[in-house]
Order: sequence, then C-alpha cells, then structure tokens
Amino acid sequence: MIKDREQTHMKKVLSYEKGELIIKQGDYGISIYKILSGKVKIFRTYDGVEVPLATLERGSIIGEMAFLNKDKDVRSASARALEDSELEVWHPRDLVEKYAQTSIVLRIIIDQALSRLLRINRFMDQLAVRKSEQKCQLKTKEDPWSSTREFYRKEVDIACQYRAAQGGKASSAPLTGRIKDISMGGLCLEVLPRNEATTAHEVGKMFHIDTVLPNGQDLNVTAEIVSVTKRPRAVRLGMKFKELPDYYGTKKTLGFFLMPS
Amino acid sequence: MHPALHLYIVEETTYSDGEVIIEEGSQGSWIYLILEGSAKVKKRTPKGTITIDILREGEIFGEMVFLEGGKSSRSASIVAAEGQVRVGLLDTHKLIDDYEALPSELKTLISSLMLKLRNTTSKVCSIIVAK
Repeated sequence: MIKDREQTHMKKVLSYEKGELIIKQGDYGISIYKILSGKVKIFRTYDGVEVPLATLERGSIIGEMAFLNKDKDVRSASARALEDSELEVWHPRDLVEKYAQTSIVLRIIIDQALSRLLRINRFMDQLAVRKSEQKCQLKTKEDPWSSTREFYRKEVDIACQYRAAQGGKASSAPLTGRIKDISMGGLCLEVLPRNEATTAHEVGKMFHIDTVLPNGQDLNVTAEIVSVTKRPRAVRLGMKFKELPDYYGTKKTLGFFLMPS
Repeated sequence: MHPALHLYIVEETTYSDGEVIIEEGSQGSWIYLILEGSAKVKKRTPKGTITIDILREGEIFGEMVFLEGGKSSRSASIVAAEGQVRVGLLDTHKLIDDYEALPSELKTLISSLMLKLRNTTSKVCSIIVAK
C-alpha cells in the first residue's frame, strides 16, 4: 500500500535540450509539468501560423488545462524548451478522483474560467493569422519587383499551367497555379506549397506559363521568378517576362486584355 | 443553468444599462452569476477602454480574485449591457469552505490556470490596441 502511494506521487525530473518539444498540441495527456530551471515557450499552431501565447520560467506550471478540462484530455497548446530546461513531471492520477468529488459549484466556476481562456486563445489564433497575412501583403509591396513595376497591373484570378524551362526546352510535367495579377512586364503566380516538391521555385528560375485569358485568347509566356513570398497555404511568385515574342501576337493579346475597360 | 448554483445565491441585485458592477483595479471578492441579461467585460488600455467579452445568462464573473487567493485586485470592469441585468451574489463562505477542502496540488493547478487567464487577457488587449 505504501508502495502504491509512492507510485501515485512519483515525480520525475526530465531534462530538455534547447529547442526540444515538451508537449505537442493535440496530443492526449494530463501529466503536469513544473519548470525547475530554464525557459519554456507556449504556443499554438493555427492554419500554419505559430501563435505565441507565453514564455514561462522557473516555478510555472504547464499542463493543468488538459487536466481541468472535463470534456477532453487534449493539449490545447504546445510547449518547447527555449533553453536547456529541467522540468518536474507527475501524473495527477489520484487528483482526478478528488477533483470529481469537489463541490459542483466550484467546478462550474473553474470550467467557465477554463473555457474563457480557451476562447481567448482561439481569438489569439485569429489575430495572429490576420497579422501574418498583413505581413505577406507588406512583403509583396516591398519586394523589389513589385515596387519597380512600371506597367499597369490588372488583378485577376486565372488558372494556368506552368513548367520549368531549362535551356529553352521543356523539362518536367506541367504544374497548375493561379495568376493573381498581370501586367505587360510580368505577373504574380500563386501555387500550392506541394508544387515545390517536384520543382524548385527559387528566384532566378524560369517557367513557361500557358493560360487562356478571360477574353478567350491563349497566352504563352516565359517568365523568371524575381520574388518568392510564402503564405500559410500558398506560395506567391513575382515573375518577370522574358521578352514577349511579338510574332505570336503575345504583346498585342496582353495589351488588349490590359486595356482599362 | 445547473440547479446547484441557485443554492449558492445569497442575494440578488439588478443593474441598469451601463451601470458598473465591478470596477477594474478595485478590491472585492464577490462572485456573481448572471440570472438575466448580459454584461460587458471591459479593460483599460493606454488607448482607452475596450470591451473584450460579453457575458450572458448563466455565466459567472468575479471568480479570479477568489481563485487566486483573494489578494489580487479586479482584473477587468464588468458593466451592465443591453438593458438591465439581474445578478446573483454567490455565497463566499460556502465557496471558501469548498476551496479549502481541495488538496494543495489542486489549488496549485487552479491558481496556475488563473494566472494564465490574467496574463493572456492582458496580452490580447495589448495586441488589439497595437493594431
């Protein structure tokens, strides 16, 4: 019996190296951690964006939210060691029952405080995603290509096919993307991050782009990547045309399309 | 609303639209339960007062000071919203007894939760104001 009691109260000290993950958001677990030394960052991941919630130091407790949450034992945030840290960890096995015996009113009060905190954390997600989108837009504005663009730029959303152009000859299989804006000088191509698995999307790379403009005209151009902007779910490529081959009528086609209506 | 909550109500009060129920920064340990109507949670910031939440029927407020051990001051103001709000004051003595019966580990976990609630609320306010 004594042995049992010792086991339920057993606290272990674990060491984490700088950068190591201590708790992962979405994992199941109700173990409680107490920081003995070091620094721990608490963050959520939402829509590909890391949302920082807090930086905790010696004496702080981590993991009580999953324990106190009666609905699910899921970690609502991740914890990562910001420097080499030591944490005391224990499993609140015997506390589960004691907490269940606590006055219902006290538990209702704690439940409400917990759901308020979870709601604020979700609100932080929204704020962080909005901020990262604004940052992306800012970067697009600041990138050398857009700011020096001398042509009228038309905002569009046209599906296209594109493939890497190497030494003038077509290489890999065509990929798909969407043209977000276009001018006489170049265009902005938005592609899925997974496209990068098969083809490098780096500054200096050349692509052949094939599309049909909304006016029904075919457009086949070759363009060079001059800027790459990563967004949570897409990659935006700022591209500059290699000289437009006039004999295909490309200049004329594009010129007509870009005429202000 | 859980029936047990009614057993803890010692008094009922009604506040009219815009009336302050709790003032941020003040001392006080009453815990309130909204019986009817709604209330706004407001926080002061360097750029003025902002509303960070709206509480409705069945929601409890004022619990942070109590669950932090009664020493802290009110973290936000609570103001009656949308017409009048009827609140119940909860029996602090009963709640203190309930709280004191908790094992110390559990008290530690609860105060950690309260600390996070307090800090995160401040953080979200500063983000909103910085925009």
